[in-house]
Amino acid sequence: MSLQKTSLRSLEYLLTFLLIITLNFALPRLMPGDPFLHLSGEAGEIVEGYTDQQRKYFLEYYGLNRPVTEQYWRYLSEVARGNLGFSYYYKEPVLVIIARRLPWTLFLVATATVLSLIFGILLGSYSAWRRGYWQDKMLYLIMVVFGEIPAFLIGLALLILLAAGIGLFPLAGAITHFARYTSSWDRIKDILHHAALPALTLSLTRTSGIYLLVRNSLGTILARDYMRTARAKGLAEPRIRYRHALRNALLPLVTRVALQMGAMVGGAVLVENVFVYPGLGRLMRDAVLVRDYPLLQGIFLVLAISVMGTNYLADLLYRYLDPRTRTTDVMNACGRGTYGKTEPSGL
Amino acid sequence: MKKMLSLMSTAILLLSLVAGCFPKGGVEQKAAPDAGEKKVKEETVIVRLEGGDWGYPTPFAHYSRGPGSAKTAYIFDSLLERDEKGNIPWLAERWDILDDGTRYVFHIRPGVKWQDGQPLTARDVAFSFNYYRQYRPVSISDMVMDQNYLLQIKVLSDMQVEFTTVEANATFLETVGRVRIIPEHIWSGIEKPEEFLEPAAVIGSGPLRLVDYNKEHGTYRFEAFMDFWGPRGALDVLEFVPVSDAVLALEKGEIDLAGIPADVLSRFKNNPAFTAIENPAFWGYRLRFNMEKLPEFKTKAVRQAFAYAIDRQELVDKIARGEAIPGSMGILSPHHHWYNSDLPSYQRNLEKAKELIVGAGISHKPSYDLLVAGGEEVRIGEVLKEQLAMAGIDIKVTSVDMKTRDARITEGNYELVLVGHGGWGQDPDYLRARFSSAETTWTSGTPGYSNPEVDRLAAEQLKETNEARRKELIFTLQQLLAEDVPEIPLYLTTGHNVFRQDVYDGWVHVFDHHAPTHNKLSYLQR
Repeated sequence: MSLQKTSLRSLEYLLTFLLIITLNFALPRLMPGDPFLHLSGEAGEIVEGYTDQQRKYFLEYYGLNRPVTEQYWRYLSEVARGNLGFSYYYKEPVLVIIARRLPWTLFLVATATVLSLIFGILLGSYSAWRRGYWQDKMLYLIMVVFGEIPAFLIGLALLILLAAGIGLFPLAGAITHFARYTSSWDRIKDILHHAALPALTLSLTRTSGIYLLVRNSLGTILARDYMRTARAKGLAEPRIRYRHALRNALLPLVTRVALQMGAMVGGAVLVENVFVYPGLGRLMRDAVLVRDYPLLQGIFLVLAISVMGTNYLADLLYRYLDPRTRTTDVMNACGRGTYGKTEPSGL
Repeated sequence: MKKMLSLMSTAILLLSLVAGCFPKGGVEQKAAPDAGEKKVKEETVIVRLEGGDWGYPTPFAHYSRGPGSAKTAYIFDSLLERDEKGNIPWLAERWDILDDGTRYVFHIRPGVKWQDGQPLTARDVAFSFNYYRQYRPVSISDMVMDQNYLLQIKVLSDMQVEFTTVEANATFLETVGRVRIIPEHIWSGIEKPEEFLEPAAVIGSGPLRLVDYNKEHGTYRFEAFMDFWGPRGALDVLEFVPVSDAVLALEKGEIDLAGIPADVLSRFKNNPAFTAIENPAFWGYRLRFNMEKLPEFKTKAVRQAFAYAIDRQELVDKIARGEAIPGSMGILSPHHHWYNSDLPSYQRNLEKAKELIVGAGISHKPSYDLLVAGGEEVRIGEVLKEQLAMAGIDIKVTSVDMKTRDARITEGNYELVLVGHGGWGQDPDYLRARFSSAETTWTSGTPGYSNPEVDRLAAEQLKETNEARRKELIFTLQQLLAEDVPEIPLYLTTGHNVFRQDVYDGWVHVFDHHAPTHNKLSYLQR
């Protein structure tokens, strides 16, 4: 890619980032209510109701009575210095709160991504090879149905069946509380045991997208001339399937996985709430509920950066995997990750 | 390397999934660890409750919503405490009320120790108040903060502290009595108390001390403070752990007490391992009229028509599924210790409601917007709409999220609004805050409503320090309000807490609060 193109691309990312940061600032403030307004609760909930005088004190204390433009500039300059602010509700620096929660969400999302890739590729290629047979039709139906069920429903079903029903998995949380582990292996086992259901739920909801993509792109490739050539050369069937067909069919997956990162994080929010998993998702829900502006801004910013970062990585990875996209002409002609246009790279 | 790691973790996860596919004896075998726990119980009593992060339990760092303040109160004592009947002496052994109720001298209990072994004195008490007046804690009364009202807090001796106010106030003792006392030797140098999150910040004089807190997992572990001055602790360890579903967690033995919804209550009531207790009705829904925006609501007959048209019992049956009681038109909860039961009950009477509307001379067909928040409130709104339609009153239900509804209340931007909150068991001075015309804010008052007699009684009861006399005033005030219907308390929730009595059965309700887990008396031998 030429220097000009690279700087254009960087500018694109910078503009997106600025837009996101502005939206991050504006959206929470556009919601009615403020962080110190508590008149009511959910049934049975205890709330420290603030009188007008108390509310005024806190609004002043946190500078929320100043003009919005002033608050905006202050926010921008603080972010530029790497300071995400102090949470009104949680009474801690936003960065500290997020740093404690983010690893759990990343762990969940990464595990679910890997799992859904494995499931999706296995089932997708099986379907493609059995195209037209009942196995394919059955799988297709199941996958389409699964893809439409919201994550929290699958989560609840798994929770009731596997955790409450037969007691294979814990009901909630990410670790056994107040446990004293004898070894770090015990600790890892405990964490994996707790992560199993949330990760399974999240991967189940994401598998169908990958399945459909693999099934379609593999279907296209299996009909290509070079497949016939490979067979004519007398290559063994597994070699044809995995080296020649699957490898080429997987290229669009890179883009797909990057693009669905946003949806994955969105799914994680729901799943974390079902399993009381201590990631960013639960935090986000609570922060919206209490209108904790700095925390909301911080979470949105971190999530936006993660999603943008993944997209950027996918850009790089794709260029590495598919040599044609290294020249600008081909990139313009094909577009990044255009499905079905892949030509053999191994022949 | 990363790829390797992720591959490995996937493999391990898959293994654990596969391993999990083979049941190891199912439910029957689960009984074994329970039996083991019982053996342990003879030595140490461990009680587990539903957790969740409610903040570091200091007066400055707990959260403004939820039971963070209750956890703070386990650790930090106050001058007074509450039991089933009323306020009781706590850190203050006794007190003298002098100069017509403007001067209070509290005698501090001797021999009280902080959890770090230092003695607690009157100096700590005075320091706490003065410190709060400098740095506002999460929860504090305006009266304590007001330098023009509470003029001086003076240490008379090691064990005596004196408060001087401008004028007598019936709620002063209780208000001051509930302020958390913090140790001067720890807090005196702290300038940013909300950022003070050290272990020293949770040293109080109360019966429980915090030994473990995890913010992201929402867990707390308290242990009994052995040198506590008062009644012996009835449990050794109190743990709060997060649960995905309280009913499942209680059944599985992960927690020992939970609030159980009406539809699954029978499952526990029929099981001898569990005991169900009903909570007093101190959390309720109010239907408020905007008398500023719609002057016709200033007409008493119109408000009374609403009261006759609404079947509160039907709301209790349909929405709360019997786990509530209809509100009293005198506002105070029927479970309040000063509830006046001799009031007009406004049994449903559609004819009367229609007559009242006609008599009020409203020329147009009555039609109003009702603002509600989500969930249960939408269902209440729909039932109200049906009920009022039968009396010829049209209602359009608008549902928004809770904060939006609250914001619209503070702006006075509604016609009718439904709002639910707790505190209905507290000092009845809330009648003054809600209905005196001197209270002009939308947040607490009822703008547009004015009844000089209500104003007079509301002001008088606040200054009346004779309890019997004040009770009479409050009873009369309830009568006036029941006649006037400035708002309609629809219902107050009761609900059941179910607990495993073989693990712990010391749960008590204090006289003005609905949750037995929120008061420290539940954890003490008495």
